[in-house]
Amino acid sequence: MLRRARYELAGRAVSPFLSRLEGWRRRLRPRPGRSGRGGASPFGPPLEAARKLKELMTAHYFQGRFAEGAVPVAWVTSGFPVELLRPLGYHTLYPENHAALCGVRRLVPALSDAAEHEGYARDLCSYARTDLGSLLTGETPAGRLPRPDLLACCTNICQTVLYWYRALAARLGVPLVLVDTPYVYGEAPPHHAAYVRAQLEEAVAVAERVARRRLDPAALRETVRLARDGSRLWGECLETATARPAPWTGFDGFFHIAPIVTLRGTEACNAYYRLLRDELRERVRRGVGGLREERHRLLWDNLPIWFAVREVSSLLAARGFNFVCTSYTNAWAEAGSRVDPDDPLGSVGLAYTHVILNQDLPHRLDTLRRLARSYGVDGAVLHSDRSCKPYSIGQVDLKERLARELGLRVLLLEADHDDPRAWSSEQADTRLTAFMEAFA
Amino acid sequence: MSAAALGVDAGSTTCKAVAVDGAGRVLARRVEPASPRVEEQVERLVAALRAEAGAGPEVPLGATGYGRKRIRAGRTLTEITCHARGAFSLARRPGLLVDVGGQDTKIIRVGPSGEVLDFAMNDKCAAGTGRFLEVILGRLQIPMGEVAAHAAGPAAPVPVSSTCTVFAESEVISLVANGAPLEGIVKGLHRALASRVAALARGASAGGLDVLMSGGVALNGAMVEALREALGRPVAVVPEPQLVGALGAALSVLPGAPAA
Amino acid sequence: MTRREYILAQRARHGRRALAVLPVAYPRELPTALDLLAVELWGPPGPPRSDAAGRIQAYVCPVVRNALAFLAAGGADAVDGALFPHTCDSLQQLATLAADLGGWSRPALVFQHPRGPGRASTRAFLDGELRALAAGLERLAGRALEPERLAWAIDLHEEIDGLRAALLDLGPRSGLGERARYALLRRGEWLWPEEHLAELRAALAARPPAPEAPRGVPLLVTGYVPEPMALLDVLESAGARVAADDWAAVGRRVARTRTEGEPWARLLARHEALPPCPTRAADQAGRVRHLEGLLDRSGARGVLVHTVKFCEPELFDVPAIRAAFAARGVPVLHLETELEVEPPAQAVTRVEAFVELLSSGRAA
Repeated sequence: MLRRARYELAGRAVSPFLSRLEGWRRRLRPRPGRSGRGGASPFGPPLEAARKLKELMTAHYFQGRFAEGAVPVAWVTSGFPVELLRPLGYHTLYPENHAALCGVRRLVPALSDAAEHEGYARDLCSYARTDLGSLLTGETPAGRLPRPDLLACCTNICQTVLYWYRALAARLGVPLVLVDTPYVYGEAPPHHAAYVRAQLEEAVAVAERVARRRLDPAALRETVRLARDGSRLWGECLETATARPAPWTGFDGFFHIAPIVTLRGTEACNAYYRLLRDELRERVRRGVGGLREERHRLLWDNLPIWFAVREVSSLLAARGFNFVCTSYTNAWAEAGSRVDPDDPLGSVGLAYTHVILNQDLPHRLDTLRRLARSYGVDGAVLHSDRSCKPYSIGQVDLKERLARELGLRVLLLEADHDDPRAWSSEQADTRLTAFMEAFA
Repeated sequence: MSAAALGVDAGSTTCKAVAVDGAGRVLARRVEPASPRVEEQVERLVAALRAEAGAGPEVPLGATGYGRKRIRAGRTLTEITCHARGAFSLARRPGLLVDVGGQDTKIIRVGPSGEVLDFAMNDKCAAGTGRFLEVILGRLQIPMGEVAAHAAGPAAPVPVSSTCTVFAESEVISLVANGAPLEGIVKGLHRALASRVAALARGASAGGLDVLMSGGVALNGAMVEALREALGRPVAVVPEPQLVGALGAALSVLPGAPAA
Repeated sequence: MTRREYILAQRARHGRRALAVLPVAYPRELPTALDLLAVELWGPPGPPRSDAAGRIQAYVCPVVRNALAFLAAGGADAVDGALFPHTCDSLQQLATLAADLGGWSRPALVFQHPRGPGRASTRAFLDGELRALAAGLERLAGRALEPERLAWAIDLHEEIDGLRAALLDLGPRSGLGERARYALLRRGEWLWPEEHLAELRAALAARPPAPEAPRGVPLLVTGYVPEPMALLDVLESAGARVAADDWAAVGRRVARTRTEGEPWARLLARHEALPPCPTRAADQAGRVRHLEGLLDRSGARGVLVHTVKFCEPELFDVPAIRAAFAARGVPVLHLETELEVEPPAQAVTRVEAFVELLSSGRAA
């Protein structure tokens, strides 16, 4: 009871203060980064909403410190239908999001070393190595991570999460619920939808048992409604970038995506995106851009390069290049907006099966074409992420087709989303600069 | 001199040969850059050693190294087993043997009788071997003999990527062009190689073992120091570190040598 | 006779159509029941046969890169269709890349085996997938699947599996060298099953009646595929033998079970009886227990983990395998192949050093 009270309090009272404190600390810390020409920043004014985002995410991680023993805790893959867990009172942690945080803070090499020492090959996904390393060492930039009572894995983003979560289940000795979403080649046949639906029901049964609670249908409907609304709101935020100039950069989007991934189905998430959307729309009205001078508009495909977001973004911004749309941020606007509170399990099954990474290459190409056209881009950068096979295999062909069919200049940039050891600043700089020079 | 056995280690960078007495002490030695004509080179070296140590044709020859199968020898064993035996006979205690050669790096956990308990080798990549330093220091026009002097001063090490020799080379050229101190770069290079080797070592070791270093790279004091720092443990260099494999090969054909 | 010639001869003499099949697990009984020759594509080993491999990044496994290159170069043009089991992310992408964006213009079928622990949903889905695949194969074969033919095919493959298991368990007592034994087993990847059965029967009948006790250090081998095949020669000359086989291409696909009843139920049961594989199961502990069982029953003294470079499903299990065997004092060697034709010198050295380590008998 007391633990539960502490958990609730942590979320509401203490953490806003903590996030402000963290903000002051960061301002005082010397920041690494490239020295630009002159000293004037190529970026437009920072978003006011960013402060609220910081509060929201800090609150969430801070609250997590009090979750163990207070509420059931689930570690969840980014594509898992979390709508099933929220109404059961789970505190959710997203190891991918945590690993991204470690990537931004440049902690991955040390964490990965610990995982590699245990025998995990460096060829494995850097998110998994980071997460396993964090588990093995207990090191985390987020203070303390609550141990899970349940692992929730959905293979709609890749099969690797299953191998990763199996290993976690073996190490932690907790149940693993799996929603195995068969890949969609063309169209999903009926027995596939039935399979996913049946697994959702099985997952609920296990989640209920662990949470010691029944899933209330009304609460489920409400969560699904919130998730749908949240995805639509996120989509509205993204759409503002169709304006010229775009009111924010694609890389801003990589950070503001955190709530829809990790807090999907909550009021707090939706409240945040309303705030963000309104600010973005206001900027569009006033013609305020994410860049001071937007000269070229680009599409980004695949995960961000977390440890080099600032570096790449600055390099591009200095020459007036902005990523106005990304297949990554778009994914969370599309999938979640298809869930239907009037048919929770059915619609959730369908929506989560049809995420971009679970559909074939023709569908991917269509999506990229659609984004390129609606956002009016002149070029694209496809991040060839060595850690992410399902996202990266096919990019060589996608590059050629986008170039041929839409007349875009496309760069295939080899890197990794989380491990800086697979990145050479010098080489990347050369490639990106040469790419930009071609637009002249 | 009474030579009781000969050993040759036909490596990919250098060819080493030794003659030992019945107690395994080295009586004579030869080290040369490896010739692609392995058989000829080995015959010549072995003949020279036999002459110097007064070892007739009845004195057996053990062979190891990359070119071992092309040598007519009494016994042929992998360089892992030979390095373990050679290092054990010099150090007289079990431990973790780190052998950084010109083209490959081996980590061998040596047991209480000189036997191999576990081992790890670098992947097909020069970045964890002596070749890493050789290539880059070569570009910087610093001869191996002057490396220690270049790494001696107070300058802080400049971080250099250790993932790939070619990446690192281009990084270093940039660093020099941007005025980074040569001393710092040389230190950074050693650190980079040491971190690769240390990572490989962690894969084969149990904590708390004595660390011994062998291989040509052990002749580079700056490298030994960098490895000490990277492992966080004292590192002892075996005497005549290049000869450990050849010594082990010779020991393997001494009467009474262990089977396998 | 090359594989290509064999496929054409099968068509000419028996009117059989052919199906190229990518790794790993698929219901072989279905093509057999439809008189379709299944020809598996494990590589092929060696450098990619065409520059289509360049359409897949270098950090992707050679199984997939080589397969795309081979298909795009017309290497499988003697067959009528291709089957892509949904084994892993890379093979998943290969299927859509080749069939949708170029490289394979003939019919392409997929088979998605369920993943995770056996649940009610698992069986129902597997049944659905098997029937959907059967329908696709019927179209390819140009005939309907008859229940008696399916029953016959299941009986045939059960008998084949029984003999394969026997040949695997015999080891050197088979009288064949390691390489010859595996060459025989691997011909099962493309021979018409009745011919493969005949070869197996002949080999077992010809085995020495009073074989010597097998020499050589016994090993448990787990991994993907015995490539390069020359590695088997290396093992033999180093003084080792494969005492227990968990290669995905060989031992891990032998269902050691006899089924009965209605054919579709038997198909399900046979799939469920397959040894644990990380591409199908969600239980790591179960896999490790299975490997420990193999070690114990075979008396193996060391474990060779033989993965293909960049293979996620296999690599994620390596730490658990290492830990389990370390706790029992059993040495483990992890060897990676890039589907070379000849094993690189480094690989040979590692294997030999490992055998030397095991032979010294004092390894801890």
